[in-house]
Amino acid sequence: MPSTPNSGPAVSIDNLSKRYGRTLALDGISFDVRDREFFALLGPNGAGKTTLLHILCTILRPDSGTALVGGFDVVRQSLAARRRLGIVFQEPSLDDRLTVRENLELHGLVFGVPRALRRQRIEKMLELVELTDLSDKPARTLSSGMKRRLEIARALIHDSEIILFDEPTAGLDAQSRERIWSYVRTLRSERKITVLVTTHYIDEVEGCDRVCVVDQGKLLALDTPDALKRDHCRQVLRVVPKSDDHRQEILNRYADHLEGEEGESILLSSSDSLVEAVLAEYGTRLRSLSIDTPSLEAVFLSLTGRELRDQAAGPRERTLAFGRRGGEHTR
Amino acid sequence: MTNDDRAAERRSPLLIQLGGLYGIWLREVKRAIRDRGQLVGGISRPILWVLILGIGLNPYFRGEVYGEVTFVVPFTYLQFIFPAVVVLNILYTSVQSAVSVIWDREFGFLREVLVSPMSRGMVLLGKVLGGATVAVVHGCLVLLLARFADVPLTWSDIIKALGLMAMLAFALTSLGVVIANRIRSFEGFGVFSNAVILPLYFTSSSIFPLDPALTRAQARITYPEWLVTLVEINPLTYAVDALRGVLIDYNQFDPRIGIAVMVVAGLVLFSIALIDFRRA
Repeated sequence: MPSTPNSGPAVSIDNLSKRYGRTLALDGISFDVRDREFFALLGPNGAGKTTLLHILCTILRPDSGTALVGGFDVVRQSLAARRRLGIVFQEPSLDDRLTVRENLELHGLVFGVPRALRRQRIEKMLELVELTDLSDKPARTLSSGMKRRLEIARALIHDSEIILFDEPTAGLDAQSRERIWSYVRTLRSERKITVLVTTHYIDEVEGCDRVCVVDQGKLLALDTPDALKRDHCRQVLRVVPKSDDHRQEILNRYADHLEGEEGESILLSSSDSLVEAVLAEYGTRLRSLSIDTPSLEAVFLSLTGRELRDQAAGPRERTLAFGRRGGEHTR
Repeated sequence: MTNDDRAAERRSPLLIQLGGLYGIWLREVKRAIRDRGQLVGGISRPILWVLILGIGLNPYFRGEVYGEVTFVVPFTYLQFIFPAVVVLNILYTSVQSAVSVIWDREFGFLREVLVSPMSRGMVLLGKVLGGATVAVVHGCLVLLLARFADVPLTWSDIIKALGLMAMLAFALTSLGVVIANRIRSFEGFGVFSNAVILPLYFTSSSIFPLDPALTRAQARITYPEWLVTLVEINPLTYAVDALRGVLIDYNQFDPRIGIAVMVVAGLVLFSIALIDFRRA
């Protein structure tokens, strides 16, 4: 198998489309993830994020378009592409009946990591995700946050260069979520890795290098978090005048900036210069002044026009429910 | 670190595949050992069949029935069903292991191995070999009861039997995977047990013989035609018969048919499972 040096983008997606029956999950999407970048895919449920990730990790075949992982085509050179990927799936994919260490061992065996290196990496990764003390416990006894940590450790047992995280923090409490991001930060500083993460927790993508907003299989925006906020949101100045006279004055003076009124406060669509102007002119006549800085949440809303969508329960959910109830010979 | 990082790359692809095969096989075996339910079934099933059913029906099988002597088969009923109970245990365990494909799929484990550098064929082979290994072990649990069933075993019998059991277990595990691949929603193993295992087992001449002393025409008079036909078209009949030949030296058919059926069924079913697996 040809080996290419690490030049060019870590992940390169060109005009990728995938259709399920009549729904177009991906509609000619193209973008690059640069080497060693921390890249986030943001979109509501059903936007096509997971489909895209599944194509990248070679589980799904695209209908058209190409995807390269570390320079390898995911359809034609899937084995070489897979070897470079570390994946943390949305749903846990651990073997519950094996112990923590056995899960990692199995992964190492399946990815062909030589024994000595395997042992060494397992110890190191267990330490990183703080599971060393639990290494001989069956995976089913772990909490969901611990399971997610174990999966992160697992994705790094082999020579993965590109880590795909599909909703790594979904369903976890705030503390576990923060912990997981701290591991990711540590990893990025210790090892040469590119991180591609999908999420619908908007606050989590603030620290990313670039964010890609997708919905209904289309790319809506791709830029750094700051640039997205600048381009897609206006900041709002919120002032509370001291008296009704001042209030009327401000309303007249800034009629063309008026966004609305909320109780006592006046909302003005603002820019840095407007803030300065208002302060200079009315600074002494205001009881309070605050600037609502644009959030990615607002960017997201303005781009997609919606928040989260619900998914209907299918036969798959029913089977899962049966398994969770303790269906025979499952766990 | 870079040198270490590339270590895996330098290993030959075949070695990686074999290592992975071992990993998946080991997982199957470990899971089976830790599944108490399966183990209890594997032990209680042969005890019930051999000790209760076998001993209970023993007097009605040979000897005086309503004053008339009917020598059907020159063996006791216990001896007659003993090889069939080995098959039954293998049947249950194989299908049960294969059904875990559904759980692997639903609980995401399958995905984890499908994104590894392992080829799909090796993943499937590891899974089937693991299931078959466990099934053969469960078959051996029955062999431990040979003494109670009055079946004398020599080492060469045991080795021959193990060979047949392995072939059978491989074919049946593949069958289980083929069925599991076609199932979208799963509500329990009972469905399998009732729809696949028991019909196959009961129509395999496992618990009653097609009388060898009678001609084919006579057999159809004794037993209804549909039953004889069912037994004859059931491939498991020939596997049971081959094993019976080895364990108690009694064959209703040519034992080579049994071996041929098992080899062909194993290859065909594994190929179908592989095609499904590649597509999934």
